[in-house]
Amino acid sequence: MARYITRRVLWSIAMLGIVSAVVFAIFYVLPSADPATLRAGRSATPAQIEIIRESLCLDDPMPVQFVDYMKGIFTPLETCSGKGPLDFGNSIFQNNEPVLDIILDRLPATFLLVTGAVILWIAIAIPVGIISAVRQRSLLDRTTMITSLVFISAPVFWLGLVALYLFAQDVGLIPIFPGIGSYNTSDNLLARAGSLLLPWFVLAAATAAIYARYIRSQMLDVMTEDYIRTARAKGLSERTVVLRHGFRSAVTPVITLLGLDVGTLLAGNAILTETVFNIPGVGSEVAGAIGSSDLPLIQGIVLFGAFFIVIFNLIVDVLYAYLDPRVRYE
Amino acid sequence: MSSKLRAIATLAAAMVLAAAIGACGSDDDNGGDSGGGTSSTGIPEEFAAPTEAPDGAVEGGNLTVIAADDIDYMDPGAAYYQFTYMITSAGHRALLSWDPDDVEEPTPDLAEEQPEISNDDQTVTFTLREGVRFSPPVDREVVAADVEYAIERGLLPGVANGYIGAYLGDVVGLEDAQKEAEDNPTGGAPDIEGVTAVDDRTLEIQLEAPTAYTITQALSLPLSAPVPEEYAEEFDAENPSTYGQHVVFTGPYMVENDAEGELTGYTPGREINMIRNPNWDGEATGDFRPAYLDTIQFQEGFQDTGSASRKILSGSGQINGDITPPPGVIQEAAQTAEPGQMTATPSGGNRYIALNTSKPPFDDVNVRKAVVAISDRTALRNTRGGELVGPVATHFIPPDFPGFEEAGGVEGGDIDFLATPEGDPELAASYMEEAGFESGQCEGDCEVTIVGDGASPDKETSEVFVSALEELGFQPELRNVARDVMYTRFCGVPDTQPDACPSVGWLKDFNDAQSMLDPTFNGDNIIDANNVNWPLLDVPEINEAMADAAQTNDPDERAQAWGEIDSMISEQAPAVPYVWDNQLNIQSADVAGVINKFNANWDLAYTSLKEG
Repeated sequence: MARYITRRVLWSIAMLGIVSAVVFAIFYVLPSADPATLRAGRSATPAQIEIIRESLCLDDPMPVQFVDYMKGIFTPLETCSGKGPLDFGNSIFQNNEPVLDIILDRLPATFLLVTGAVILWIAIAIPVGIISAVRQRSLLDRTTMITSLVFISAPVFWLGLVALYLFAQDVGLIPIFPGIGSYNTSDNLLARAGSLLLPWFVLAAATAAIYARYIRSQMLDVMTEDYIRTARAKGLSERTVVLRHGFRSAVTPVITLLGLDVGTLLAGNAILTETVFNIPGVGSEVAGAIGSSDLPLIQGIVLFGAFFIVIFNLIVDVLYAYLDPRVRYE
Repeated sequence: MSSKLRAIATLAAAMVLAAAIGACGSDDDNGGDSGGGTSSTGIPEEFAAPTEAPDGAVEGGNLTVIAADDIDYMDPGAAYYQFTYMITSAGHRALLSWDPDDVEEPTPDLAEEQPEISNDDQTVTFTLREGVRFSPPVDREVVAADVEYAIERGLLPGVANGYIGAYLGDVVGLEDAQKEAEDNPTGGAPDIEGVTAVDDRTLEIQLEAPTAYTITQALSLPLSAPVPEEYAEEFDAENPSTYGQHVVFTGPYMVENDAEGELTGYTPGREINMIRNPNWDGEATGDFRPAYLDTIQFQEGFQDTGSASRKILSGSGQINGDITPPPGVIQEAAQTAEPGQMTATPSGGNRYIALNTSKPPFDDVNVRKAVVAISDRTALRNTRGGELVGPVATHFIPPDFPGFEEAGGVEGGDIDFLATPEGDPELAASYMEEAGFESGQCEGDCEVTIVGDGASPDKETSEVFVSALEELGFQPELRNVARDVMYTRFCGVPDTQPDACPSVGWLKDFNDAQSMLDPTFNGDNIIDANNVNWPLLDVPEINEAMADAAQTNDPDERAQAWGEIDSMISEQAPAVPYVWDNQLNIQSADVAGVINKFNANWDLAYTSLKEG
């Protein structure tokens, strides 16, 4: 197992480098705005733009910029923007703020949003998936599956807006949840959690639906296995058969899915939810960065995102080995 | 345009228009505001912007400004954005500032009175007020050297003021100082020979040409807000300057900071907290701003403008910052909001479709005239929300500007291809014939490349324009990109300029026609990057006329000169003008907002909360 983990970590570092290189390449190959011109303002002369380009080190060839960037992250050497390690550069537009500071400032909101949503969607998906599988083709099963289809089909931003217009205190018809932007005015953890109730439901809705259907499908497969029949034959209660034997086997692929989902959400995939509810998270930040062609900020957020995806994948793979004794890593 | 698109655009606009106008019950086309102005924008009285604080305005309270995005720069030397001016006008005392109701002549602010201008219009002398002090931690009294430093630091690449070259270009020694700053970007602000603090209260500006009028107007922008050199120089030694994270203020409000001056009340992209400046004494220092509010909080990141607008309208103590309510909310507000919750103000801007005059097919003036003639400019305007958004433009100087009436006012001059806002296909065909297309339609190579902003409503505007071109037999290829990509890679770069840029327009820097026409239609201002003369218009007669008009300092003569230049430009048909924007602003029912006409936005130093 130790060798497996070591190998995965090394491979992850290499992958982060590749991801970073790809982002760099995309930024230069595909049409994007010129950050130096944007930074210079609307009446700047070409000479002024070039000076700014030079000050931002955007006049170096792309490979040089990339090496400089990697140097700043992984080594203590001096770079164009400062000194490493963990120097992800400075935002071109946000008053030259260090990218790392911006990301760390935004991460707590995304963490809280994702954590609450995950708890909620697991709490909904597991019982719904199990019950639907155990009572296959019942009215309850059909109702939950149709409902889940609705939530899967509804775009997150639409769901969010509908939720706001129905339940938000400032614009809703039934004002029972905190309003838009209430996260920003919350000054303690409890208040922030309260402000995220509606976003949690919105973010969890579609994913809970997907997980419920997936768990149902896995359970239906597992419950036809021989060892389930054996367990019943041994006289175990149906509850024990379903939960301890059936669900335990059915859940392992879901764990893998969960790791991927959590990783991508922390990487900024909650962008639509954050935008609709004005939550100052990583997703809404990267949206602004892309809009203003703020390459250091885009690069930093993408790297952090890739890091989370890699870490969570590693965690779930290790967890998989403990959950399923048949799995062994060399 | 195609009948289908015309129907869609007209229906959408009619719905908004009918709801808005019907709710008002008035067809008053005076368009004036409560300040007594006589603008001809057709703004119904119900949406007229209040430009005076109400009698008995209430002191105290907190106002929340709801915004989608961040300001551009907290540094007043770098600030160049309408939204940012909400903060700079409340927090800084520039030499001259703008009373909410005045768009013609700025009001002395840090300056004791209007500047003294020499007979040859080449020396401008300001006398500073006594007793104006910087906010903590600087605390001391402002002197003329602080304004000199503020102007000079604008040349630093780390500050990169966006308009110093355009408007202060005639200041003696500016070019040399600019070169010095470029050669040594972190070596301190260069000395501009023509900007001199004669003593603590006297600032003198020497010009190489008689452009005192332009200089005076330009110094109403935040560049002339004083900056203490002994405090700021360490921040200006960095590139980019970090003074923006340590700004000190001289106006009634400041952004919260710590004992060292670092701004604690500013989190980029999230919030800005303004509090009263403890060192401001408006009465003692002759500040015309009343400053009723105790605190002002900017909340940013409200990307969905629909829900944000509804939050403001149904909420308490809130106003919009950079958010423009979308058409659906406009309709709703017109029907259900309380009077005064939504206001419309001429923004001092225009929107047009630029035609590339430097290459075929639009290098032929008759082809351009045909395109302008065929364009349904009413439909183009309506893609942005209907009549309340602004009148259909007939030339380029906006309403309330000196030169607007001289250029023909709302109806426009006697130019046939601009006479019919809904388009004139027959006239268009005749111009195409004059261009050599006997059929009245394009023949041969008729491909036209268009690069526009892919976001609504610019996307819809482009589609209406595409239909118009198709009616003339052109084969338009529309490419929608992000706005910043459009400007920095295509429409602002002459080498890669497409045949048409439909998503452009210009917003004033101050109410002077030079600031509208000179950057955008003067051939001498075409540059290789960041070019804003999008049609690439370069007509020697027009360029010369602008050079002459720039040195005209008598207001009436200046208005006449620029009005004539506007007509000359219109006759060249370099673009399809389609709207003079109104800025729509919204407030909660318990806010007594005051609009500053110069900025077309809420004036934080005049706005208050209603009693109860």
